[in-house]
Amino acid sequence: MRIAILLAGIAAGLAAQTVVLQNGTIMTVTKGTFKGAIVIKDGKIVEVGDKVLVPTGAQVIDATGQYIIPGIIDCHSHIAVESINEGSVSVSAMVGVGDNINPEEIEIYRALAGGVTTANVLHGSANAIGGKNVVLKMRWGKDAEALRFEGAKPGIKFALGENPKRQGNPTQPGQRARYPATRMGVEDVIRDAFTEAKSYQASWKEYEERSKRGERALPPRRDLKLEALVEVLEGKRLVHAHCYRADEILMLIRTADEMGFKIKTFQHVLEGYKVAKEIAAHGAGGSTFSDWWAYKAEAYDAIPYNAAIMHKKGVLVSLNSDSAELMRRLNTEAGKVMKYGGLTENEALAMVTINPARQLEIDNRVGSIEAGKDADLVVYDKNPLSVYAKVQKVFIDGTKYFDRDTDISERNRKALEKKRLLDAEKARQDEQKKQGMPPARRTGE
Amino acid sequence: MRYLFALLLSGAMGLLAEPPSTIAIRNARIFPVSGPAIAKGTVLMRNGLIEAVGESVQIPAGAWIIEGESLTVYPGLIDALGTWGLPQQQNQQGQQGQAAAPAGLPPIPGLATPTVAPPSGPQDRPQTTSWQKAADLVSPGDRRIASARNMGYSTAAVFPNRGIFAGQGSMMQMAGEKVDSMVVAPNIGQYVAMRPAGFGRSFPDSLMGVIAYVKQIYLDAGHYSLAKKMYAENPRGMTRPAYDRALEGVLESPRLLLPANRAFEIDRYAKLGRELKQPTVLYGGVEAYKAAEMLKDTPILISIKWPERARDGDPEEEEDFRTLERREKAPSGPAALAKAGVRFAFYADGIERRSDWLRAVKRALEAGLTAEQALRALTLSPAEIFGVADRVGSVEKGKIANLVITKGDLFQDGAIQHVFIDGMKYDPAPEPPQGPPGGSPGGRRPGEGAEIEEVRK
Amino acid sequence: MNRLGLLMAIAGALTAAPNDTFLLRGVTVHPVTGPKIENTSLLVQDGKIAEIGPKIVAPKGMKVIDAKGMHVWPGFIDSATDTGMNEISSVRETVDTGEVGTFNPQIRAAVAVNPSSEHFPVVRGNGTTSMVLMPGGAGGRGGPFGRLGGGDGPLIQGQASMIHTDGWTWEEMEVNRSVGMQVAFPDTPRIPGRFAAMLGMDRPQTTFADMDRQRLDRIKRLADFMTDARRYQKAKAAKEPGFRTDLKFEAMLPVLEGRTPLVMVANKQKNVREVIKFADEQKVKVVLAGTDDFGNTLPDLKAKNIPVILGPTYELPAEEDHAYDEPFTRPGEIFKSGVKFAFGSFGTQFARNLPYNAANAVAFGLPYDEAIKAITINPAEIWGVADKIGSIEKGKWADLIVTDREDPLEITTNVKHMFIRGQAVDLTSKHTRYYEKYLNRP
Repeated sequence: MRIAILLAGIAAGLAAQTVVLQNGTIMTVTKGTFKGAIVIKDGKIVEVGDKVLVPTGAQVIDATGQYIIPGIIDCHSHIAVESINEGSVSVSAMVGVGDNINPEEIEIYRALAGGVTTANVLHGSANAIGGKNVVLKMRWGKDAEALRFEGAKPGIKFALGENPKRQGNPTQPGQRARYPATRMGVEDVIRDAFTEAKSYQASWKEYEERSKRGERALPPRRDLKLEALVEVLEGKRLVHAHCYRADEILMLIRTADEMGFKIKTFQHVLEGYKVAKEIAAHGAGGSTFSDWWAYKAEAYDAIPYNAAIMHKKGVLVSLNSDSAELMRRLNTEAGKVMKYGGLTENEALAMVTINPARQLEIDNRVGSIEAGKDADLVVYDKNPLSVYAKVQKVFIDGTKYFDRDTDISERNRKALEKKRLLDAEKARQDEQKKQGMPPARRTGE
Repeated sequence: MRYLFALLLSGAMGLLAEPPSTIAIRNARIFPVSGPAIAKGTVLMRNGLIEAVGESVQIPAGAWIIEGESLTVYPGLIDALGTWGLPQQQNQQGQQGQAAAPAGLPPIPGLATPTVAPPSGPQDRPQTTSWQKAADLVSPGDRRIASARNMGYSTAAVFPNRGIFAGQGSMMQMAGEKVDSMVVAPNIGQYVAMRPAGFGRSFPDSLMGVIAYVKQIYLDAGHYSLAKKMYAENPRGMTRPAYDRALEGVLESPRLLLPANRAFEIDRYAKLGRELKQPTVLYGGVEAYKAAEMLKDTPILISIKWPERARDGDPEEEEDFRTLERREKAPSGPAALAKAGVRFAFYADGIERRSDWLRAVKRALEAGLTAEQALRALTLSPAEIFGVADRVGSVEKGKIANLVITKGDLFQDGAIQHVFIDGMKYDPAPEPPQGPPGGSPGGRRPGEGAEIEEVRK
Repeated sequence: MNRLGLLMAIAGALTAAPNDTFLLRGVTVHPVTGPKIENTSLLVQDGKIAEIGPKIVAPKGMKVIDAKGMHVWPGFIDSATDTGMNEISSVRETVDTGEVGTFNPQIRAAVAVNPSSEHFPVVRGNGTTSMVLMPGGAGGRGGPFGRLGGGDGPLIQGQASMIHTDGWTWEEMEVNRSVGMQVAFPDTPRIPGRFAAMLGMDRPQTTFADMDRQRLDRIKRLADFMTDARRYQKAKAAKEPGFRTDLKFEAMLPVLEGRTPLVMVANKQKNVREVIKFADEQKVKVVLAGTDDFGNTLPDLKAKNIPVILGPTYELPAEEDHAYDEPFTRPGEIFKSGVKFAFGSFGTQFARNLPYNAANAVAFGLPYDEAIKAITINPAEIWGVADKIGSIEKGKWADLIVTDREDPLEITTNVKHMFIRGQAVDLTSKHTRYYEKYLNRP
């Protein structure tokens, strides 16, 4: 009897965590688009279909006339971290943006309001081999640890072309030039770093063998920079390489072949369309902009058809933002590949959902609306590929993190509270003035 | 010899006769901090130590007596983090690199030009002077030491603060003719600042670069001490580990001080301390009011220089909600910590006038901190945090005779009558005119806005 | 029909019909200034719109374009860009905006336009037929070329020109060489505190009051320049002995005479208030551009009839606690206030996204028709060229786009034909050519 009661209690608890989104147009990305319902339980999608049984006690959200897509994944972002470039050295593999997460950065919320649920937060492009990345879910309000996409495979940033060689070409007299200054030098830096990493790897192997034999041996000094590169060699860390021109893309493919590692994604890859065949053969993905061009010399041959050509030639393509602003409307960025290159609605949507999920090797968890996956969902008022679509609700792990109606209705209360804070501060200052305190210095901005 | 020297010195300066070795303050209200308040009692000091404290203490003949009817006796205050006595502008050159003009920029007046190449990686030990000790750098003649006393501080945790591994702090008495006699404990921790070099010219150039550097230093220190241990056990057949003063400095520091103002910084650096397996003390604490949960095992030093709006700023400059909220709530941090049982202490952070100090402490009291809790954060708690509570921090028999004596309440407008340091009496001088505040050990407040512009694409 | 008959007679006499005379058949015409006309025809004659009606019969020999089911819209107008003057923004040698000097009213944008720029075909592809080129650059607010008036930067940056997006030479592209005088309206210089912090120095002790004084000084310099120009104007009118022509002051005469507006680039409400005051005191026409914080200035702008060129709506909110959609809702707010406004792309690389900027504003509250107006008839009126462009009306230039779907602001809509003064314009670009080329790489 007692057991039965307990079970009932558990069932009730579970039911409370069950949410059903129904009557919306569901764009699953991997299983077609249809009108139906999604059942969410304990943060996971448990059922999707045109007809589902609504579990008793489930919270039902009506999405009539609305569109539901998987949470958008931005494969190239720099939000939510305090610094992004360790630009002082040509190889900065010892640093990681995940070490300086700012979970309170408002850009997380703004991204969420634009339908993004996961972001690949990358180191900048100041050096040939940059720092480590962090994959975050936009769980606004949670602490740094809870933002991390648990279990996401770690990655590292590489950068080719103009940015890493910029410091080799000082623009001011007296400024110190940092190697490399050319694309040839960029290649050398990468080859050299991996040569060093291999000898580091060997020195550990030797130490382990000596220890196994019971010999007295001092372990090698742990080197955070080389450790990251060894992880790349061992396939434990994904390479995301910033690049523009076809020549440098090809160079990195050949260097990786020589050194024995793989490039997971070429980032920006604006001339990827010229070497799509080679990229596909290497097995790398391309994560690009929809229509950026001509902002620098190496972007002058960029064309908005890049994504379509790479896709048609067998490259796994995603569209990214590299910008806290553009991040808010990756849905319409996807829409542009329908215009430039004539891809289908589903192909377009895949470029901001399942494709980046595959590129980050998190597609077992996110990127499409399928039973068993995380309930990361975005509800739009219109077809999300249209310029007129607005995000209405965003769920991550089944929890609603954004609701446009709530956002709007909260604005007044927040404005009043801000006014109260301002008034209170004014009162404090007046009090100080009365006491004849000198003015505060400009500090802490 | 030393006695003779002191005598000669005081004789030469024509100041005091030899001070009395036994002093009693009687019929005073006493807050020992380590125990309940004594409404009317006596503190007896002899040879710089507290010999007795209580309601009925036998005063020996020949003792100097201070009538305490209208006086209150507190332990000498301890500033939990400061630069008292340190040269204000340490010369920063070469390896420290900190203030050197980045290459390619016009030279900055008053700053030395670098003479060596800027650091290009962790191996160059950038901005590291971990071997420096405050005790070796303090100048007893610094006028700011008198300012500290005027506010009631008998003791301060003095830390060098330039660079990433800036050096080791020392617990110092805020009086003394020679630095040797001021030292209570010479190495009480390593001061770390999350301070990138900036401009992409020198490692580390970013916050994450600094963090990586700090991690690498502790890995190196671990490896270094292992190598030294193995070598000491049996040097035969083993390459001699090269002496590394930067790592020596880190290894001999009993604890690590890390900066943390924003709640997420408190979270981050408390975790970093655990990752490094170092006893860690955080400093800053602007958003401690919402971070008590994260501070269960990590003590924090709270700056009482609460964030304020600049009154000479642009009146139309809009400030965001969180900045306003932070400024309103920062003084409520200590009360929240006290309630949660978090160990915390106060530091003056550049405040040098009793009136400013009083205003700052009052804001914490108005925000819910009790006077008792405030007093503890200014006395016994910093002593405990830095491991010197057996010597200072309370009015107890056997401890160093550091006292503050006020007419009225320390936290109300009671005037400080005397400060006893090592049993020596000091009377506060008139308050100096308001000048620019002195160097604050916190430097710029991390987390108070992104300081570094980055190339993003 | 008589006139047409006559024309056809002339045309017949020539070996071929003129390129700028044709009949568009089977289309829906969206005049913008009036309701749409479905299933009709549009006659273009000598580059101008001659007739709209379902029953126009093309005389023999006249070019007939059968565009059944398609939609005809006026070509779009980008009210702030530097397309054609800025090929690759990071390569200074390819950028011809941002002249040196504080007062440069005499320089003119149009003469530095490279008609062969790869950017023109690209923007044409999405429907833009006219643009206002900003000599001080339009690369955003406070950017290196679109600099706001802080520090010792420029104040008067030169004459903005309106051009067509096609032509063999800049002269042929010209719509109006001088539609406005660009002014980087003085702003309070930012205290370079962050640089000081990076250098490990204490923050500078400069107070806001000191910094703000610099702003007011610079506004005064601007006013003084106006005074000097007026003195010049008087001296010239009076034919004073010893009068000598001065190109800078000469260039200011249309401004003083109220023929050409000052295009005031000002970002914050504080500066907007100064702009309004300045316009009042100087009694000159003013167009406001690049503002992202209007505060409470909209009623004043409305009262003073000051139009606004809106920056891209694709922006982040100005402050972290502002509504996430603040820049998106701004056009709607401005419309509600009654202030006349137009969109500018404020740049080059995203100039082709002008219609999407307008559409995004619709999603967040701007009525659809107003979004269309803000890239057609509104800018034509603001820039004083509404007699020629901005709507489909008899007598206006045939600056037209023909789209495959009704809504020209939607991404999936394609521009199938474009006409500038009745001339069919090539819609291919480097981008379409490379698409063909590399798609077919073996």
